[in-house]
Amino acid sequence: MSLLSVKNLRVSFDTEAGLVEAVRGVSFDLGRERLGIVGESGSGKTMTGRAVLRLIRPPGRIEADSLLFDGQDLMTASEREMRALRGPRIAMVMQDPKYSLNPVMKVGAQLVEGLRQRDRMSKMDAHDKAIAALEAVQIRDPERVMEAYPHELSGGMGQRVMIAMMLIPNPDLLIADEPTSALDVTVQAEVLAILDNLVKTRGMGLIFISHDLRLVARFCDRVLVMYKGRVVEELAAKDLMQAKHPYTQGLLNCLPRIGGPRQPLPGLDRSADWAV
Amino acid sequence: MALIEIDNLSVTFLSKGHRVNAVKDVSLSVAAQESFGLVGESGSGKSTILRAICGLAPISGGAIRIGGQVLDRKAGKAFAVRVQMVFQDPYASLHPRHTIDRTLSEPLAIHGIGDTDARVMRALDDVGLPRNFRFRFPHQLSGGQRQRVAIARALMLEPEILLLDEPTSALDASVQAETLNLLNRLRAERGLTFLMVSHDLAVIDHMCDRVLVMQHGAAVEELTRDQLAGAQMKTDYARSLFAASADRMLAG
Ligand SMILES: Nc1ncnc2c1ncn2[C@@H]1O[C@H](COP(=O)(O)OP(=O)(O)OP(=O)(O)O)[C@@H](O)[C@H]1O
Ligand SMILES: Nc1ncnc2c1ncn2[C@@H]1O[C@H](COP(=O)(O)OP(=O)(O)OP(=O)(O)O)[C@@H](O)[C@H]1O
Ligand SMILES: [Mg+2]
Ligand SMILES: [Mg+2]
Repeated sequence: MSLLSVKNLRVSFDTEAGLVEAVRGVSFDLGRERLGIVGESGSGKTMTGRAVLRLIRPPGRIEADSLLFDGQDLMTASEREMRALRGPRIAMVMQDPKYSLNPVMKVGAQLVEGLRQRDRMSKMDAHDKAIAALEAVQIRDPERVMEAYPHELSGGMGQRVMIAMMLIPNPDLLIADEPTSALDVTVQAEVLAILDNLVKTRGMGLIFISHDLRLVARFCDRVLVMYKGRVVEELAAKDLMQAKHPYTQGLLNCLPRIGGPRQPLPGLDRSADWAV
Repeated sequence: MALIEIDNLSVTFLSKGHRVNAVKDVSLSVAAQESFGLVGESGSGKSTILRAICGLAPISGGAIRIGGQVLDRKAGKAFAVRVQMVFQDPYASLHPRHTIDRTLSEPLAIHGIGDTDARVMRALDDVGLPRNFRFRFPHQLSGGQRQRVAIARALMLEPEILLLDEPTSALDASVQAETLNLLNRLRAERGLTFLMVSHDLAVIDHMCDRVLVMQHGAAVEELTRDQLAGAQMKTDYARSLFAASADRMLAG
């Protein structure tokens, strides 16, 4: 049985300007593996992730033929059951990490909150565990960062704090929305190694949403390519750079290269058949 | 004379008795119409340098000059017309209760520029957003759509200098290409000067004439574009960044 099974997921918003269909019938199964989701800005990647946690605010609506996590039906779960799942079992690293942290609470207090309340850890043990979690994501001065407020962190530090916080309760499924977009390549490699290790040794399932096609190609096992709310191609990550679908190929063509020409980058032809 | 001159800049934050030396004795200069890149370790002070240029960081040493003039807080409005910044964090930099229309037209109103409607439409076209997004609020946009609004806003006043903090890291490859092409076109047409931060060495290589590598608040090494592409770096740190970017080389 797969860890997560999504069948015909739809997310829509009633707005003053009419109905916005953000996700239009997405289906996939996730095992204890690294599943990448790539695709155009606005194609519904974030909404797909949030829908799994049922974190779509009204007037947004979620519909699905089935949405099963570890055998549990998420569509019929009560709000209370969902709260018990969010965090300890399914965690999400949000695309805007600094915005998702509590702006008026110190980073350290946010990190130890769950450890103190849920795991009933002593103050000192929780502090040590939080420091270790920050060190693991390559934060240079963890004691200072524990005392800092979110606005005192750099963009990439905010991302790493968020990742550390989400990993502390050992979730079974991690949905990571652009988790390393603000990290330099060497720190990024360390953070990816942590995620990789959790998938391999603990059997965590990972949904890795990213715009970085080359990163996804080398880090993930499988990739979904989304366009306008639909999955247009699903393939093994190692085959991503040789993708068949014209949209995916178009995306790859747009990438700049070190030492490449200075001419305008090729664009994407959105008038082609596949785009409608 | 360079358009942007930064001499021995240091920035020190004081928070709860901790002194955070975010930028330590960094110097760089950017000529008019040049495009200069900043890369380096997360937390190494790149955003802080851009913020210092805008008067948004506590400078503890050194000086910043724009067109030969020392930065002056009183410059206010005049400065905004010359220098605009695209912040790293688009969510935090857009007002949550203002529509996109208001976000884009407000700078025009403040500076008494007319023709608002046409300018807002053109800005949306330029960054590839549908015109009917005007009446949406930031929370009704995806991450990349918000980033494009932030870029559009910076362009409204037709500034001379653009400070770009990870302008395309939230964008997919196709929108990134369109945005980089737009920026390059504007630089050529309007003679803009760029100081930009990116973690993607391929983006830096495509956009910048020179790049400064930073680590832990300090400047490590400055490279020309040819030195970057030719792997002619002298320091271990710059070399490690290059080596970890092997997947974005031309041949690869
Ligand atoms: N509250 C809302 N009301 C109306 N439309 C919305 C709302 N939230 C999101 N949308 C729309 O839903 C679509 C999908 O958004 P989503 O955030 O999932 O995109 P994404 O694939 O994550 O894009 P990005 O890569 O830019 O983050 C977008 O076109 C967005 O404008
Ligand atoms: N308001 C503040 N108060 C205290 N410290 C701050 C403040 N703003 C930034 N810092 C600290 O200054 C240092 C440099 O931050 P900066 O945002 O310039 O890094 P960066 O190079 O842009 O990193 P990233 O690539 O992760 O965005 C960090 O250690 C950060 O915690
Ligand atoms: Mg998103
Ligand atoms: Mg930064």
